[in-house]
Amino acid sequence: MATRNKDIQQKTEELITVEESKAPAQQPLAIPTDNPVAYPLELPQGEARLRTPAVGQRARRPDGRLHGLGQTQYIDDITFPHMLHAKILRSKYPHARIVSIDTSEAEKMPGVMATLTGAEIPENSFGPTYQDQPVLAYPIARHCGDGVAAVAATSEQLATEALEKIKVEYEPLPAVFDPLEALEKDSPKVHGGDTNIYTSKVIKKGDVEKALKESEHVFHRQFRTQMVEHVPLEPHASIASWDGNGRVTLWTSLGRITLGREDLSRTLKMPQSKIRLIGTVVGGNFGGKNEITTEPVLALLSKKSRRPVKLVFTRGDEFISSTIRHPFVMDYTTGVNNDGKILARKIRLVLDGGSYCSWTGTTIGKGSILAPGPYDIENVLVEAFAVYTNKTTTGAMRGFGAPQVCFAYESQMDDIAHKLGLDPLEIRLRNGFSENSLSPTSQTLQSVALKESLAQAAERFGWKENQA
Amino acid sequence: MKKRGRGMACMWYPIGFTVAANPSAATVKVNTDGTATLLTGTVETGQGALTVLGQIAAETLGLATDDVHVVSGDTDVTPMDTGAIASRTTYVTGNAIVRAAEKAREILFESTAPLLNVKPDQLEARDKQIQVLGFPSKSISIADAVQHSESIVGNPAIGSATYNPPTVEMDPETGQGKPFNTYVYATQIADIEVDDETGEVEILKIVAVHDCGTPINPMLVEGQIQGGISMGVGFALQEEILFEEGRQINPNLTNYIMPTSLDMPELDVGLVDNYDPTGPFGAKGAGEPTAVPTAAAIMNAIHDAVGVRITTLPATAERVLGAIMEKQELEQAAG
Repeated sequence: MATRNKDIQQKTEELITVEESKAPAQQPLAIPTDNPVAYPLELPQGEARLRTPAVGQRARRPDGRLHGLGQTQYIDDITFPHMLHAKILRSKYPHARIVSIDTSEAEKMPGVMATLTGAEIPENSFGPTYQDQPVLAYPIARHCGDGVAAVAATSEQLATEALEKIKVEYEPLPAVFDPLEALEKDSPKVHGGDTNIYTSKVIKKGDVEKALKESEHVFHRQFRTQMVEHVPLEPHASIASWDGNGRVTLWTSLGRITLGREDLSRTLKMPQSKIRLIGTVVGGNFGGKNEITTEPVLALLSKKSRRPVKLVFTRGDEFISSTIRHPFVMDYTTGVNNDGKILARKIRLVLDGGSYCSWTGTTIGKGSILAPGPYDIENVLVEAFAVYTNKTTTGAMRGFGAPQVCFAYESQMDDIAHKLGLDPLEIRLRNGFSENSLSPTSQTLQSVALKESLAQAAERFGWKENQA
Repeated sequence: MKKRGRGMACMWYPIGFTVAANPSAATVKVNTDGTATLLTGTVETGQGALTVLGQIAAETLGLATDDVHVVSGDTDVTPMDTGAIASRTTYVTGNAIVRAAEKAREILFESTAPLLNVKPDQLEARDKQIQVLGFPSKSISIADAVQHSESIVGNPAIGSATYNPPTVEMDPETGQGKPFNTYVYATQIADIEVDDETGEVEILKIVAVHDCGTPINPMLVEGQIQGGISMGVGFALQEEILFEEGRQINPNLTNYIMPTSLDMPELDVGLVDNYDPTGPFGAKGAGEPTAVPTAAAIMNAIHDAVGVRITTLPATAERVLGAIMEKQELEQAAG
């Protein structure tokens, strides 16, 4: 086992040794025919799971062994008699009016059991903040990942072939892709109206303009970040099964089943008591599986076909039609004194908000609050705008805007330290939050451990010993 | 030539939703053999949350991790939960579990106090016993306590509770308010090499020290930090969705480059000793913040190594080389 991470390699080897010594002496059992994995039935627990008190124990995860043995059932592993497979046709254009959709040729194919378009969905909209996103786009498609029609067939191959038989007539509309262009007055408007700005946030403390004028040094720089995908090992996946009592059960990779049921109840216009969501073991979420995607489509395809219907995204579906991380354009202006004390920070954030709101409300909120960094700054102004573009929907992703603003505020901290001839550790210790510091929203902070983390990290790294 | 550089970045990150209510509910039932069942509406998304939640229930009941079976993720069976989002599971769902398990424990205290000839508030649950505070030799096993409470007293040890972090709304004009109940803090330091002829960045080592309050399971927190750093490395150096006229041109893992185990540097992970009185046994959270400071630390290390400030992510070899060449041209022009 070759890994450049010596720590992990050593730990892994130790674990393997422990594991072997504790394995029961009896012959491993073999699972019949279809599963060639042999394993001891007695679980080598490790002492930590058996000890009290429980908190603080390095207790092993019971699911880890099942993952290792390949026994965890992800949705792709689950199958039902007569189950169908669904595929979704995506928009041909980043912005277009759908004039007509003709599914009749697809329906004539033997093995195609049902089709669905946006017009057939009882309430064709969803979203955690604004319900601005259609389950299947109709009559406007706002990015190339928008689904426009779905098919359920007896095999994945057949469903894929049937998509080619669906005739969609589009009327392409002008599109906008750059968030700064989207801010301009005469830019194409993704959701109509007179602006693409759909949410904004202000954090204002003290008098930033006055403090900038009084500062001995003022630093300015613009930073930009890119669009990235969560890339979970398991893509989005669901199975829907509508039973004879009119109750629908969904097995789903969704990370929020309580709210998923509310969204399904709303889009399907049926009571929550008639909907059951089973959250299966999720093969990675990282924020990307926090809202419904195909669940209402599968429920309706199951209702129409009277069979269970499964859909597992391909990697391509995952990239183009699931949510991704917001690109940020960030202007940072910071006023400091000769001793490195920060007096003021003025920040403007423009979030590329993609085609629909999704979790942008949370991203702009956390991004704005966190943007000045973990520093005692008396004068702060953050102005943030999220704008629609005809690109992939931006949503929740590990950190909700924090990695973007951290890249900006920490790069600028080093710029300041460099210019003033200060050690990067020193400037952070001079300005960093302590117990009872006031946050940019004037909240009194408690259990603050910033300087402790700086001190321990510097110690472990040998920061002071290795001065250049 | 390869140039060595080092860079640090610190960060802060909140636990739970921004002002908005994000409650969790939980139900805990203690069985007659002294094991227990926890019902939670959250789901396991690979982070080990269910193990941590089981440990929290076990701690409250004085049991071991292995004594608690966790049932999750079924709207027909499990109570309401806002879900695996916003680094909230350990803190918010954990707080609901403590409160639910305390209710079940209280039933056991009330049923067994007469057997031990003390008042219920003189009892504690510890090491699989209900025992008298300050006189632990006077005790009854939790299994016996549950049997007595369920079969003799007729009061099964079961508790349900909810938790929602208290916040204060933000002023719409100034944003002033208390959007979260608690935050975590961290510092990461990167040791890297930059090839100044190709622009390629190699990360040699990352030191990561995080605050999560009490680590309920230190091994799982370390795992979160290691995974978070790998996402940070991809964000810093490699990953980017590319578009042409609104259409993604690299929606596949051949052309969208992510870090693999071979791209990961040596990691040195540490936890700060901290305790948040508002969290379950002092815990806060560890999910998202682990991915936050990595890219910033790497960019500062690039600046330290070759003197260029990367202002647009990712810092691909082309972008770093472009910045180095631009700097050289400026220096030559200046003579």
